Amino acid sequence: MAGFDLSGLTASFGGERVIGPLTLKVKEGDQVALVGKSGAGKSTLIRLIHQRVDGQSSLVPQELGLVNALPVFHNVFMGQLDKHATWYNTVTLVRPFKQDRKQVLELLDALRMSEKLWIPTASLSGGQRQRVAIARALYRNAPVLLADEPISALDGPMAHHVMQLLRDRFKTSVIALHDVEMAMKYCNRIVGIQNGQVALDEPTDQLAAADIMSLY
Amino acid sequence: MTHNLIRKLLIIGLCSLFSAAATAQTFIFTAIPDEDETKLVERFRGIADYLSEELDADVKYIPVKSYAAAVSAFRNNQVQLAWFGGLSGVQARSLVPGSQAIAQGTEDQAFYVYFIAHESTGLDRQDSLPEDVRGKTFTFGSKGSTSGRLIPEYHIRETFGEAPEDVFSRVGYSGNHTRTLRLVESGTYEVGAMNFAVWEKELENGNIDTDAVKVIWKTPGFPNYQWSIRGDVDENYGEGFTGRVREALLSLDDPELLESFPRSDFIPASNDDYEPIRKVAKEIGIID
Amino acid sequence: MLSYPTVRTSLIFLAIALVGLLFADIAITANNPWRDLGNFFLGVLTPNFFSSEGLLTALLRTVAFAFVGVTVGGVCGFFLALVYRFLPVRVFCAFIRAIHELFWALIFLQFFGFHPLTGVLAIAIPYSGIFAKVYSEILEEADPEPGRLLPPGTGTIAAFLYTRIPDCWVQLRTYTAYRLECGLRSSAILGFVGLPTLGFYLETSFSQGMYSDAGAMLILFYVLIATIPLWVRPKLLPVYIVGAPFFLGDGLPIVWGNVERFFTEDIVPSPLRDGEGLAGLLPWLNELMIEQALPGIWNTVVLTQIALVATGILTLLAFPLISNHFGGPIRRTSGHIFLVIARSTPEYILAYILLQLWGPSMLPAVVALALHNGGIIGHLIGRQTNTIRLRSDAPKGFNRYSWELVPRIYRSFLAFLFYRWEIIMRETAILGILGIYTLGFYVDSAIQSIRFDQAMVLILITAMLNIGVDILGRYIRRKLALQTMPTC
Repeated sequence: MAGFDLSGLTASFGGERVIGPLTLKVKEGDQVALVGKSGAGKSTLIRLIHQRVDGQSSLVPQELGLVNALPVFHNVFMGQLDKHATWYNTVTLVRPFKQDRKQVLELLDALRMSEKLWIPTASLSGGQRQRVAIARALYRNAPVLLADEPISALDGPMAHHVMQLLRDRFKTSVIALHDVEMAMKYCNRIVGIQNGQVALDEPTDQLAAADIMSLY
Repeated sequence: MTHNLIRKLLIIGLCSLFSAAATAQTFIFTAIPDEDETKLVERFRGIADYLSEELDADVKYIPVKSYAAAVSAFRNNQVQLAWFGGLSGVQARSLVPGSQAIAQGTEDQAFYVYFIAHESTGLDRQDSLPEDVRGKTFTFGSKGSTSGRLIPEYHIRETFGEAPEDVFSRVGYSGNHTRTLRLVESGTYEVGAMNFAVWEKELENGNIDTDAVKVIWKTPGFPNYQWSIRGDVDENYGEGFTGRVREALLSLDDPELLESFPRSDFIPASNDDYEPIRKVAKEIGIID
Repeated sequence: MLSYPTVRTSLIFLAIALVGLLFADIAITANNPWRDLGNFFLGVLTPNFFSSEGLLTALLRTVAFAFVGVTVGGVCGFFLALVYRFLPVRVFCAFIRAIHELFWALIFLQFFGFHPLTGVLAIAIPYSGIFAKVYSEILEEADPEPGRLLPPGTGTIAAFLYTRIPDCWVQLRTYTAYRLECGLRSSAILGFVGLPTLGFYLETSFSQGMYSDAGAMLILFYVLIATIPLWVRPKLLPVYIVGAPFFLGDGLPIVWGNVERFFTEDIVPSPLRDGEGLAGLLPWLNELMIEQALPGIWNTVVLTQIALVATGILTLLAFPLISNHFGGPIRRTSGHIFLVIARSTPEYILAYILLQLWGPSMLPAVVALALHNGGIIGHLIGRQTNTIRLRSDAPKGFNRYSWELVPRIYRSFLAFLFYRWEIIMRETAILGILGIYTLGFYVDSAIQSIRFDQAMVLILITAMLNIGVDILGRYIRRKLALQTMPTC
């Protein structure tokens, strides 16, 4: 599965519909940026897609979902818990295997935080924590990336670096972004959400920043 | 290496938990805790040493915290011999088929209970249980005691035709005879009932403030303490072991040991000697 | 003020306790209670550490029984916690923790006798029930988000180990360590029924008026508990756990036939055992209810309600002792010592001491329960006030106490109090063994007259009463929206 075609996406909160019904078709190779005002329903949409694709995706949720008491290594390793037997995972909890250590370290290196490998995530800064969640998604290596504001806590150069990395590693992705410039630079398709509906859906090269601003 | 050691230790630990002390055929006895424990431990360690020597076997005394614990240990074959009171002996032997009373003190053929009172009650010694004890506070000894519970309760019911709780304003169980003495001596309870032998011994040793507490009535005699032994002892410790234990007890003549009980000497006893106790206990409803 | 539900609830409980006082047997019957109390304190001030040869052994055994009991209870409790969502498991756990350690010990004494297993199980069984409940509460509070993010197909065990345990680890560890302290107290009082722990010697010296010996034992016990952070180290724990079983003592061998007999004969109600059938059972139960259970329940409930309110009053009086908002360092240090002693001494030992000194009535029991429980809650509330920041022009003295602090801590104070309601009742029942006419008195009497069938029915009734109060306490806490962490 590389792309997906989802229709009838709806979500309600407290009896009030916040999303849909809407239809979203993503082909392999689509790198979609979800843009729109905060509260438009981007996060809800990401969550809905995650459910509908049955977890066959690498997810970076806004609240990160890290296990604070565990070191960075284990939080990243959790992306592949399904690939190993229980005994292997249990031993890894106490004493990780060499090849896993190497793989995770490479990823962290790419995210420029390899020195944090054994630090409990609880003691990391917001930006570092965000990168751990991204590393976990990268390590998970699913065909589709679903990310909700993955660079909200990163400074300029690091944000660009991470977006580039995500673009290179995931052929297909849906990323909620509030930064229009980033969206235009690193995604090839822009989907604008307004009042829970798709208000805009165009390839990036046919859009100008001003077209998107109308959503805000 | 360390793991191996830990595993070994664990195995040994578990084994010892389940089979502790099951090795040697130690002959173990206990006694009802009717007096201060220090005195009991001293007395019965002496008996254990004496029996070890006489029987040429490993003999051990273990102290317990209640009369019922002594009965249970005897019943469960964790002790094979016990120094019981009249009532606890009857209870224990009815639970262990084949067990028998083998020896008692000379004094135990006709044992007495003293009703004692604090001086503030103004009660004096009489020939029967004084009517004036009604409405006073009263303490028994242990709930399972013969001279601390059974016999006094029997006489209270005989005299007043009522349960002790209805006769007295407050009824307590001190736990043992020494404590009954101390509680009445200090006035915590106004009246109490206790083993006459303990009273006499304490009096002799100058441990009673006779201005504060006095005997107000001495009950008629009844059979009391005895050594009881389990029926399966011969089977487990060798033919004729019961007889040897009985012989050893009957021939005990160390004055110091006898004095610690206090008994002048030990004489043969049988289960039938305690029939009166069983009847009284049944009448009061302490046993079924 | 009356419109506050918390205030109304408090007043209702106060009224119940006052009515209870009319019926309760409150008196000092000793002739010279203050002289005896003085002698006791003199004994504590002139401790004799070399009285009994067995003192150090007893201390060692106390620690060993606590470690083995808490370890076994912790492991079983953990596994029960994993299936705690199933109703039968919850009911089972509620039942085993509703029966006090001493009752369990009395039961096991009847067939295991003085074997170490008796003491280990007496601690392990009720602790499993408590651990199961608290562990499951802790595990439930773990952040569910990481679990949702796991790739589909992740094994249940791996998911549990990665997303639940690490998140709760600190809490699980803190609670378990705290339970170990409770285990030391439980272990110590098991001596009162004959196991070779501290209580055994404490009872002996106390009942004989050897206060200096008793004082030495109490001091050693306080030192043992106060120094837990020094000698219970994570690195040493495996050593203790592996080593503890070797220091339980030999006791006497188990005769397995006794176990069978206990369950197939001893606890079968006597009419059934004697073949009278169901026709005999009803009168038997009826008599047991009227003559023992009902008076026992009545006294237990009355004493519990009075002790609960007394605990509350003592807590409100005691927490300023360690609060940063009052007094200087000297006052606070002595306040700390007072509260540590109050909460480290098991209520059973406190009640035993006071009964010896004041004579038998409900009063020593009320004071003992209030001191111990008030010590625990007072300590927690006092610490909580230290996190409160007062404005710099806040009132001082009594006004500070009544206007600034009490209103802020009152809800958590009530939460702790209602949490301990059930614990107070469990203790109240057990204090009957000391001669106060609560349910424990009748249980002890039945055991003393070798009527285990009656004893078991009475223990069951006690358990039901505890479960009932537990449910009521939780209902009230939910109604008033009170939240608390578990205490023991």
